[in-house]
Amino acid sequence: MATIAVPIGAQGNSQADEAVSRPALGEYLRWSVDHKIIGVQYGVSSFLFFLVGGAMAMGIRLELLTPALDLMASGSAYNSLFTMHGTVMIFLFIIPMWAAFGNFVVPLQLGAKDMAFPWLNAFAFWLIPPAAIIILMGYFVTPAEAGWTSYPPLSTLFSGDGQTLWALGAHLLGISSIMGSINFIVTILNMRPEGMTLWRMPLLCWAVLATSIIAVMATPFLAGALTLLLLDRVAGTTFFDAAGGGDVLLWQNIFWFYSHPAVYIMVLPGMGVLSEVLSIHSRKPVFGYRMVGLSSMGIAFVGFTVWAHHMFTSLQPELRIPFMITTMIIAVPTGIKMFSWLGTIWGGKIRFTSAMLFALGFLSMFVIGGITGVMLAALPFDIHVHDTYFVVSHFHFVLFGGSVFAIYAALYHWFPKVTGRMMNERLGRIHFVFTYFGFLFTFFPMHIVGMLGMPRRVAVYDPAFTQWNQLIGIAAFVLGFSTFIVVYNVIRSYFRGPIAGANPWRALTLEWATTSPPPVTNFIDDPIPYEDPYGYGTEAATAYLDAVDETFRNGRPASGSH
Amino acid sequence: MSTSISHGQKAKPRDQRAAALRLKNNRLGMSIFQISWIMVFFALIVVNWQLRFSYAQWPPLGVTPFEPLLPSLATLALLCSTIFVQRGLAAFRGAEVNVFALCWRLALALGIVFMALIAREFAAVSEAALATQYGVTMRLMTGFHIVHALAILGVMLAVYRRAVAGAYRGGEAAGWAVEGSAKLWHFVTVAWILFYVVLYWLR
Amino acid sequence: MNNNRNRSPSISPAAVVVAAIFLLVSVIGINWFTSFVPVVLPPQASAESKSVDELFYVLVIIGGIVFFLIQGMLLISVIFFRAKNGDQSDGPTYHGNALLEIVWTIIPAGVVVFLAVLSFNVWMQNTEPKAAVNMVDGAEVKINVNGARYAWTHTYQTGQIDPKGAQIVINSGNKLHTYIGQNIELELRTQDVIHSYWAPAMRVKQDLLPGNPATGGRPTEIRFTPVRVEDETYPASYPIVCAELCGDGHGRMTGEVIVYEDESQFLQQFYEPAIYAILNPPADPVLRGEILIQEYICNSCHTLDSLGWTSSTGPSLNGIADRAGERVPGQSAEEYIVLSVWNSQAFVVPGYTEQMAAFGPDQTDANAMSAEQLYAIAAYLCTQGEQSDCDIENQTVAIPAAIETAFGLEVDITFGQGDEAETDSS
Repeated sequence: MATIAVPIGAQGNSQADEAVSRPALGEYLRWSVDHKIIGVQYGVSSFLFFLVGGAMAMGIRLELLTPALDLMASGSAYNSLFTMHGTVMIFLFIIPMWAAFGNFVVPLQLGAKDMAFPWLNAFAFWLIPPAAIIILMGYFVTPAEAGWTSYPPLSTLFSGDGQTLWALGAHLLGISSIMGSINFIVTILNMRPEGMTLWRMPLLCWAVLATSIIAVMATPFLAGALTLLLLDRVAGTTFFDAAGGGDVLLWQNIFWFYSHPAVYIMVLPGMGVLSEVLSIHSRKPVFGYRMVGLSSMGIAFVGFTVWAHHMFTSLQPELRIPFMITTMIIAVPTGIKMFSWLGTIWGGKIRFTSAMLFALGFLSMFVIGGITGVMLAALPFDIHVHDTYFVVSHFHFVLFGGSVFAIYAALYHWFPKVTGRMMNERLGRIHFVFTYFGFLFTFFPMHIVGMLGMPRRVAVYDPAFTQWNQLIGIAAFVLGFSTFIVVYNVIRSYFRGPIAGANPWRALTLEWATTSPPPVTNFIDDPIPYEDPYGYGTEAATAYLDAVDETFRNGRPASGSH
Repeated sequence: MSTSISHGQKAKPRDQRAAALRLKNNRLGMSIFQISWIMVFFALIVVNWQLRFSYAQWPPLGVTPFEPLLPSLATLALLCSTIFVQRGLAAFRGAEVNVFALCWRLALALGIVFMALIAREFAAVSEAALATQYGVTMRLMTGFHIVHALAILGVMLAVYRRAVAGAYRGGEAAGWAVEGSAKLWHFVTVAWILFYVVLYWLR
Repeated sequence: MNNNRNRSPSISPAAVVVAAIFLLVSVIGINWFTSFVPVVLPPQASAESKSVDELFYVLVIIGGIVFFLIQGMLLISVIFFRAKNGDQSDGPTYHGNALLEIVWTIIPAGVVVFLAVLSFNVWMQNTEPKAAVNMVDGAEVKINVNGARYAWTHTYQTGQIDPKGAQIVINSGNKLHTYIGQNIELELRTQDVIHSYWAPAMRVKQDLLPGNPATGGRPTEIRFTPVRVEDETYPASYPIVCAELCGDGHGRMTGEVIVYEDESQFLQQFYEPAIYAILNPPADPVLRGEILIQEYICNSCHTLDSLGWTSSTGPSLNGIADRAGERVPGQSAEEYIVLSVWNSQAFVVPGYTEQMAAFGPDQTDANAMSAEQLYAIAAYLCTQGEQSDCDIENQTVAIPAAIETAFGLEVDITFGQGDEAETDSS
């Protein structure tokens, strides 16, 4: 074959030294409109909230070691603890954490210099700290104790002022999420470089696009629901109070119309990450690229039609059947993704990097969440396990086995790009082993206690379940401990990790065709994307990757270009 | 900073390309915002609709239905207003500043007429209606709408004053503020028509 | 390297062997999984539980196939497709296979359609209204369930009339009494927040939704038919729990389904004695109060050692009579007690919140309490203490006087002591 010339864009001509220097740590504490700074701000703050929410989970498990109420002063104290655990993990950890990776990676993958609306981007982030303060402040006054779902009338007539603060904080976070999502959609649709059609876009961008579409369509319903909740709490209206002509199911309908799609807001970006990581670390194109991209859209679309399966025990019986059917249908696009990922690694040259381990861990754990999801869709069986530990287990398999594993995979994968340093792989593997088995033994037994008859959200339970809960508790402490390994790894690697270079994983997507960390303008000049973001294994791809390596030898653009 | 252009075929000066991209982004961003935020109004319609089923009939027994005459006039005023806004925008793009000023003054005046009429409706809800969700959801919806109308009218007023003072000249990108505020007013119109139909005609 | 382009990755014979082994393991594994079905589910104590468990069995088999298929392929990939040490090359450039993608779209779609149809059938079968429900002695008896923070109350509207002409209502507290083969249909109402009535052994669950009290609330229904469980001794007891977060005492909001072997055992051990007790209350108000107080939901929040109550949402009732006289200046012990029962907000014990529901003649369902019932309960509470502040000697005067002062109601202290009671107790 003829020699293949692969243009990567005029990345020479550099101000090389400036390009590789990392932003001073102080920059992360200030207002900045640079999407890379904002990405890190999102990431670090949401990780701190992960630790807070995790500490609360440890408190929950500590209480549940015995069937009686002992650690907590009252059932209410326990209720407010898990209410905060759920709220922090969902609104302050997972959703903003995906905004972190989306912010840092998406503009780079598109070869763009920044997001479409940099100022709006920063504003969306800076809504989070005040919202977090408001929500956490509520915990120290008279805490919300109606669960993160805050069903009225418990949350309206029987809760303290913390519930009002909770609703205010969630309101702000919803607005932040809408603004961030508008930004993502515009960036992805308008700012792709020439030659990158939608069908040549990296799959993370597809996933973020689908996620953002869900967020802009669904989050306004949360705003509506929270507005009514606030009015009921402070203005004396009775939207949810039956005695005043209101309807408690109104909240459930509007809330779940947001909150079920919110599950996909939390897991779809993880699926995007998985497509990236599995393909790059097994050196093989994504199997069935189009179907993977389309299935993201399929999940986003069908996700809007399933909300009432959260209301299987409260909805009028005749309305339950249609939601059972839609809920089952959503298993199909999810299945397409699972099989496509297996097709991706099948026959590849798998590198067992930490990122890859967590991606494989996602595959192996998320499938359990998927199977139990179909079980929960089956109405007669759901009636038995609705609101039990079976459900707790199911959504942790989706949100921890799915989202958190994907967040870890993304962390190990993009850390070199963000900081210019590699993470420690040995620590990464240790972290994986502890997380994987800690997670499995924490959450798998929960299926069984749930089926046997333990409802969720109880501090006091039937002593027959004591041994199960002790097993779960011990595993949960192992899982909690595993977090410290990655915290140590991140801090250590930030200062002492080996220099990463531009493209340590030899990946074809554009974020790797610039220095690590990228310069303020991301690229010296408009980069030219490789025709196929996952076209590994061809001479052209190898030539492109060699050209990237050559250009950024020694971690900075070589003068004189390729 | 390098000024070399890698895609020679469409050579435009860099800042011109950037301005075109900004305008394209603003337009798409505005559309997405409109689609997104109209969902809140849909959520309130769902509220109205679901609460109807708490009652045997709608409006509930003993409550006189709202008189649609004044709100219809208000709707007409708003529709005219939004048409004037659009005409004014076209005039602004054609650099006919006088036509623009006239149209927007009319639009603002009609907008104020609309708000005054709706505010009157808001205030005139009977005690009997307010004792039921019929009156409460009506106040929720109109109140929520008025807040938006008021804020956006304020934006339009500010934009109008700057526009006649000569700001935003020099092409579509520079005139984005005029176009954006006009689109926000269209949004107010669409949102109101949804509410109008639900509140006064769907019984 | 380019030779690999668009060619299916080759699979070594070893992979085929492993795949075969995996197939074998999955068959054994799924079999092993399903052997756990009876272990991980409560006893099948209702007709509904059998069909739900059969559905679960199918779900486990299909889930097991998916589980072993995916974990198996994952394991094979991990073992056989790992890059050898020092191998820096890329994998084959293989972009997909339309046929395969269609297959793994169609097959799962077919499976979920199958599951949806199956679930639909089970659902229709389980929720079909039955002809004769709550049959006792050849007549239908209405059974209401009331959910209140944090207790269940079951009431049987017997249809029988007491000597004063009122319908006899059996209040069995947190226990539902039934017998094998009785088609149970419960009407559920809540008086505060959403609760969820769950009897795991029956596989039924239904939320209780707050409704407008003026229009009779928003009743929901639950139906099941108890069946015989092998090796069970009757009467058998199965738990009821609250499955929807309802506040502080949510975990304690429990009850029991008591299943009798047949209708005659049900009548002998529960129904007839209960009616007899209602028609023949003890003459002593203290004894009457002791029975009555257990029919209300007091135990869901209070501790009282003499009755074995242990909840701590509200203040303890141990020794209440010793403190009652000193709580509020100017209030006698009797006045304090009767006020605290009906209108607990009148005085909230420091350290507790205003959570207690109101009781009284104006209240509905489980909170309805006549002045006569209050009299008996107050008489009982007056005995809870070492040196009671109450005037126990004169309780027939002191307590009615307190009720008169507090609520302006006159008490008929001969409550329930019909002529029959006199003759039966003699």
